[in-house]
Amino acid sequence: MKTPELVVSAIPHVHGGNSVQKMMINFMIALLPAVGMSVYFFGPGALVVIAISVGSTVAWEAIIQKVMGRPVVISNLTGAASGLVFAMMLPPTAPWWMICLGTFIIILLGKEVYGGIGNNPFNGVLIAWVVLQMSFRGEMAGWIYVAAELLTESTPLEVLKFEGLSSLIDYSYYTTSDLFIGRTTGFIGEVSAIALLIGGVFLIIRRVISWHIPVGFIAGVVFLSGIFWLVNPDECADPIFHLLAGGVFLAAFFVATDMPSSPTTPIGMLTYGFLCGVVTMVIRQWGAWDDGAFYSVFLICMLTPLLDKFKPKAYGR
Amino acid sequence: MFPEYRDPVERKGEIDNMKVGTFPGGLNLGSIESDTSSFHEVPSSGTVIIPLKQNSGKACAPTVKKKAEVKVGSIIGESTGNDEASVHATVSGVVTNIIKKYPDMKGGTVPAIEIESDSKNELDETIFEGTDIELIQKAGVVDLDIDAVPLHGKIALAKEKSVNTLIVNCVDVESQFSSRAVLLSERASEIAAGIDIISKILGVASVHIGVIDKASSAISSIKSACSSAQVVALKDKHPQSLKELLVKAILGKEIPQGGIPEDIGVTIISAETALFVARAVNDKKPVIERFITVAGGGLSKSKNVLVRIGTPIKDVLDYCGVSVGGAGKVIIGGPMMGIAIHTTDMPVTKETTGIFVQNESEIAEFPSGVCIKCGLCIDICPMKLMPFLISGFSEAGEYAMAEKSDIHGCNECGCCSYVCPVLIPMVHWIKIGKSEIKAQRSSE
Repeated sequence: MKTPELVVSAIPHVHGGNSVQKMMINFMIALLPAVGMSVYFFGPGALVVIAISVGSTVAWEAIIQKVMGRPVVISNLTGAASGLVFAMMLPPTAPWWMICLGTFIIILLGKEVYGGIGNNPFNGVLIAWVVLQMSFRGEMAGWIYVAAELLTESTPLEVLKFEGLSSLIDYSYYTTSDLFIGRTTGFIGEVSAIALLIGGVFLIIRRVISWHIPVGFIAGVVFLSGIFWLVNPDECADPIFHLLAGGVFLAAFFVATDMPSSPTTPIGMLTYGFLCGVVTMVIRQWGAWDDGAFYSVFLICMLTPLLDKFKPKAYGR
Repeated sequence: MFPEYRDPVERKGEIDNMKVGTFPGGLNLGSIESDTSSFHEVPSSGTVIIPLKQNSGKACAPTVKKKAEVKVGSIIGESTGNDEASVHATVSGVVTNIIKKYPDMKGGTVPAIEIESDSKNELDETIFEGTDIELIQKAGVVDLDIDAVPLHGKIALAKEKSVNTLIVNCVDVESQFSSRAVLLSERASEIAAGIDIISKILGVASVHIGVIDKASSAISSIKSACSSAQVVALKDKHPQSLKELLVKAILGKEIPQGGIPEDIGVTIISAETALFVARAVNDKKPVIERFITVAGGGLSKSKNVLVRIGTPIKDVLDYCGVSVGGAGKVIIGGPMMGIAIHTTDMPVTKETTGIFVQNESEIAEFPSGVCIKCGLCIDICPMKLMPFLISGFSEAGEYAMAEKSDIHGCNECGCCSYVCPVLIPMVHWIKIGKSEIKAQRSSE
């Protein structure tokens, strides 16, 4: 029989061309507005932090994968994306050794000990961030004094926590538009709400993330801060302040949506986001830290296997 | 990936006021620009191989011996039960061989009959007689869709379950094909006659005809030909042609998992089936040909052809001017759900829903990375399953867990693997899981 050789395989015979690399490129594009705003407000120092963070994450990834005898897969850009989002959660004066220690933790404790991307039960970026936050309190609060007309060096949430709502209002340290645009002190990427919102909507449109986690997160924050505000408007800030100040948008769109450590089903994702928002507000209201946006995601990650039990109702069941 | 389907006749106004049915999930794949002119008849070949099983169920018994002379339409395999359909000669000539074990496209082997054509194409003048159902059985009509259930068996089952709704599936098996849309706009009156016959046999209360909303000329011609039925426009989305999603999009109901449409009082037949029913009952003619689309393989436009059953696939490809470059892929059915075959010597059968050809460079590979739990497969799954989970269980050999996660709810449409960023061949694992579970059940 003389016939051409044919390939036989299971369905489907075509693929849409999606890849982790493409998703990560979109993820990093979505962070560009926030990067731009941070460089505008904090100067080239922010850019140095971002460069060190991204560069060292990719370098650690290559080194650790080589040492562990695994194929080096830095080309899927998950390392670069982790490095970029990690830089967004650092102060603009972060020293280089601290950044390199953090990125080492991201790759080793966050990813490779579990067998690489996809197998990690926790968000590596958050593990590294929590370690740094616990160990180097001073370095992690190295704020840059943004604009001359601002009357404080503290972040909006620090003012609220340690000076109270009355001083926030009396001295009008920060207006709502300051918070919205990002003329505040804080971590590099968290300050500009508008830039993060633009990036977040871009991510949802390109379907890198689905809308459930951010919407649940924001709903959770608004829900609990709304209750606090309605009960005690003299001491508790309004929901708008809580949404715009601190890391809520950064956490909701870019950190909590880390794929391997977040749930996959619609109801699971909504619940996960909502719980993150609620825990954020609990920490802000009663906790020792001024902002709980990142801690809350770090905690709720542990519920992911449980939340994945909220399966969609299968067809015909 | 594919350019938009363009209807030859723009009659937008007529479907503008129609409600368009659809289902959650699924993919908009777009379609290949199609050759919407009439069906090209592929000339009959020198030797045809006709498998005695071209349907789900069993093979029928051969009624001819070696060296017997047959004519076009002579019965060569006769159906006696509801699980098999009769088979007819599609050329005139001599039976040269009765092959005991011929490879079946869907796995296993079947008996087949090889006929050498005398290229006279004389017609067998024997006239079938009997009731409508007997005529359908004698003509060897099967539901010409992916499942290919013998139609008389389907009718018997529908009567037993007292079905009250008939759905006529005029949605092409896959978006890249256009044979059903063209058939509908060209032969609407014949199809309407077939629909009438079946709805009378079944005694159904309502008839729904599901057509893709883009095929506006098909919609208008079937609307005028079949006034008693309700024509429903459906959004062009993969896998709209599958029975579960037709029921969902047209009736808003769901078939119970592991069940059949008849369980909820619905029977589904395809457009071609209706056409062949009309031929069987009115003209007393058997099913000896198939209307299919040939697409891919460097064809700039897909081609709609009329092929005699038993014609080797390679003859069809030659006729269409398709070459399988290098180590290519020839797919019976479409690129999402079709079956790749190992040789183009395989004949066209009643189960051939279309032919899709890929050159070596177009073949998609699924090297299977580690799942990153992005949730895209859950988003896209029209059956509302968690494909990554089921396929993961199946890959790990945890079949009990796979069953718990509704592995039997999967209708193998391929959407999950299509969108997967780490290229996991999920349908492959799910298919393996299903067959392993079946094997375990049968050994118990």
